[in-house]
Amino acid sequence: MTTLVETQGLTKRYGSSRGIEDVTFEINEGEVFGFLGPNGAGKTTTIRTLMGLLRPTAGSAHIGGLDCWEQSTDVKRLVGYLPGELSLDPNLTGGQILEYFGNLRGGVDQTYLKQLIARMGLDPTRKFRQYSSGNKRKIGIVQAFMHRPRLLILDEPTNGLDPLNQQEFDRMVNEVREEGRTVFLSSHILTEVEQTCTRVAIIREGRLVRVGGVTELKGLKRHEVTITFANAAPAEAFKSLEGVEQVDALPDGHTLRLAVSGGLDSVVKAAAQYQVVTLTSQEPSLEEIFLRYYEGDGTAAREARDVVQ
Amino acid sequence: MWFNSVFLKTLRDYRIAILGWGLGLGLLMYVVVDAISSVTATAAARATLVSLASSFAWLAEPIRVDTPGGYATWKYGFTILVLALWPILAGSRMLRGEEARGTMDTLLSLPRGRGRVALEKLAAMWVALLLMAVLIGLLTYLGGAHVNADYTFGDSLLFGLNLALVCGVFGGLALFISQFTQENRGAAGITGGLLALFIVVDMIHRIVPNTDWFSRLSPIYYYNLSKPLIPSYGTDPVAMLIMVALSVIFSGAAIWLFVRRDIGATVALPRWLSLPKRAVRPEDALPAHAWSLQSIYTRSLAKMAVPTFWWTVVIAGYAALAVFITVQTEKQLRSLFESSPLFAGLIGNLGGSNAGFNASLLGFFWVMFAALLMAFAVTQASRWAADEEDGLQELVLSTPQPRLKVILARFGALTTATVFIAVMTLALSSLAVAVSGLALDWGNLAAASLSMIPLGLLIAALGYLFSGWLRTAIDTGLLAFLLVIWFVISFVGPELKIPDGVLRLSAFYYYGTPLTDGLPVGDMLLVLAVAAVALALASVRFTRKDIAH
Repeated sequence: MTTLVETQGLTKRYGSSRGIEDVTFEINEGEVFGFLGPNGAGKTTTIRTLMGLLRPTAGSAHIGGLDCWEQSTDVKRLVGYLPGELSLDPNLTGGQILEYFGNLRGGVDQTYLKQLIARMGLDPTRKFRQYSSGNKRKIGIVQAFMHRPRLLILDEPTNGLDPLNQQEFDRMVNEVREEGRTVFLSSHILTEVEQTCTRVAIIREGRLVRVGGVTELKGLKRHEVTITFANAAPAEAFKSLEGVEQVDALPDGHTLRLAVSGGLDSVVKAAAQYQVVTLTSQEPSLEEIFLRYYEGDGTAAREARDVVQ
Repeated sequence: MWFNSVFLKTLRDYRIAILGWGLGLGLLMYVVVDAISSVTATAAARATLVSLASSFAWLAEPIRVDTPGGYATWKYGFTILVLALWPILAGSRMLRGEEARGTMDTLLSLPRGRGRVALEKLAAMWVALLLMAVLIGLLTYLGGAHVNADYTFGDSLLFGLNLALVCGVFGGLALFISQFTQENRGAAGITGGLLALFIVVDMIHRIVPNTDWFSRLSPIYYYNLSKPLIPSYGTDPVAMLIMVALSVIFSGAAIWLFVRRDIGATVALPRWLSLPKRAVRPEDALPAHAWSLQSIYTRSLAKMAVPTFWWTVVIAGYAALAVFITVQTEKQLRSLFESSPLFAGLIGNLGGSNAGFNASLLGFFWVMFAALLMAFAVTQASRWAADEEDGLQELVLSTPQPRLKVILARFGALTTATVFIAVMTLALSSLAVAVSGLALDWGNLAAASLSMIPLGLLIAALGYLFSGWLRTAIDTGLLAFLLVIWFVISFVGPELKIPDGVLRLSAFYYYGTPLTDGLPVGDMLLVLAVAAVALALASVRFTRKDIAH
């Protein structure tokens, strides 16, 4: 498998402010790579450095073997880009915007473009300023996909999209992967990354803290399970179960709250021994994963809490 | 304290403008009032000034121009109305700008009525204008005190108040027009155009007899009815009240419309006033095959088309009008000096038959047009900087277009627009010369019109260069300051006996007097060379810098 994107010690500082520090990762051709991190972690800075919009303070970034700063024009022939904040001429219609960027890029198949517009349910006759935030996002997505780039770099692509469009977007990403093309998408929504990505990187305070497969990330998951029984149930019956890390009995005497890592099979089977009134399971947010990831180190945990607050 | 209310927050936002405009124009007044002693040093100089002022009556009514107050009132005529640009920008941004940015939604989610929010913002604009007026009045008084002027501190403050009132009218007008436009820039552009139009409407009665009724349609007319710096002329309270009434009407109507319409929407115009809408089916929307979407150059050109059209109307239209003003002025001078043996020789030149004399009368106009063309270039350089700040370059630079091509294509479009305005100025003024029968060397007229181009390109290139490091607001402020300071150096400098070395710092120095002396080839090549260097440095910087986000 060939490496399409490669960063080595990539660093970007804004004067005394933090940008990104020593970011190193590789993305193979045909991968859908997720870039996770809370707001302000350095996702957009990394992406804008890859796009040649920011000059690295140190380190390097290459796409298709080309230096992202020195050969940025050539790099952009390979890439379709959706910025995190989309600013376009408010007086142009969606159709005019797509035609303009199609002309600047070249290689846009009009039939494919019309298909994309139809799939996203976009009305290209309206002016950009008249679009809702979701429709503006659709314009951005279509312009990133329309020339069938070898690499798609998408900064929080589904922000503002409704669930139906999010599903359509997921299908479009899967099609890109099936065609052997590559996607690099940033997000702070765990489920989005889980559904579409093969590998993920987590960035915190400008530094990569983890790069690995999605399954590894899922291993970090901890469910918070709340079970209300018809009668009081002993907490001890759950404490020794596989994956159960913590059991708290609530003051009503009928409810237990469990922290469970991994699968819930053993908990469900144990609960079935008693008369269950309700059972709810809450997936952890990305913030909770961060906290869990650092809970072995008190200092790191406090830092992570600061990041997500 | 400053975040306790919408009023205080808005006033805080205006703090730099208050100081900048107040001190800037105040210092300008100080300088011109202080200059009176040098321009009236001898009886002959005083007589020359009085006769010169008469021939420039179109600029402002020449009353007691040999006194500090009279001289400043005449000399800055409508130029002082440059202050109106601030309330025009503030008024157009006040509600529409907030709506376009989406901040109005947040503001109106507070438990405050729309009317109150609008009134607090309007009150902040008025307080800002009055503070500017106080600063201008104070510095005008200090300048006058230095030369023992006959006006008092109260007169100076009244001068500032009169200025604030007329500027307030245009602020209210901008606020009103912004209720009908999707963008604040559109409202600012239209109101700016109306300001230029009203200045001309006011001028008419000083050039064409018995047209007083027509000039009364202009708010500037009522501003000019008060001349507080000339104590014998005094202040017209009724005229000031009329300006207050106009402000109340425009602002009141704007707020009335604002509280009744949807946020983000415009007030619907009657069908006969609306542009016809072309119904396009979604499936037919692509490809649009529009010429303007072919490249960065054509897109830039299309974005500049509307402002270029209006600036052309103002500059080229004014150029044609200037020709007719000159013919009229000569007629007035002829009747004025007919009985004076002292000016017998001069009369021979009047009547439009002496090309050299006509050229010297028109020369000042063409310097003004060069300044206006440079002001246009400043607005476009400012848009270049703003586009990056607003994130509009982000996607363009994600396409395989080299950064060098992006900046040069944009500058190329600006060059095209600048050349268009200059050529149209030449065409319309040539037509006016032909119609009026004024004797004028066409070669010199072409030189005067086309020599404006390098000046426009110079300030634009400097704007592009500064934008490599500075934020839009600072870049624009710096360019505007440069333009004003160049104009002051060339306009007031000779009277103040400023050394030649300082005069050479002004771009207008190199423009020279092409209407009388022809094309200053060497000087123009020098200006072009400096512009080219500035553009080259701007390009190098743009290709190496981080793109703002």
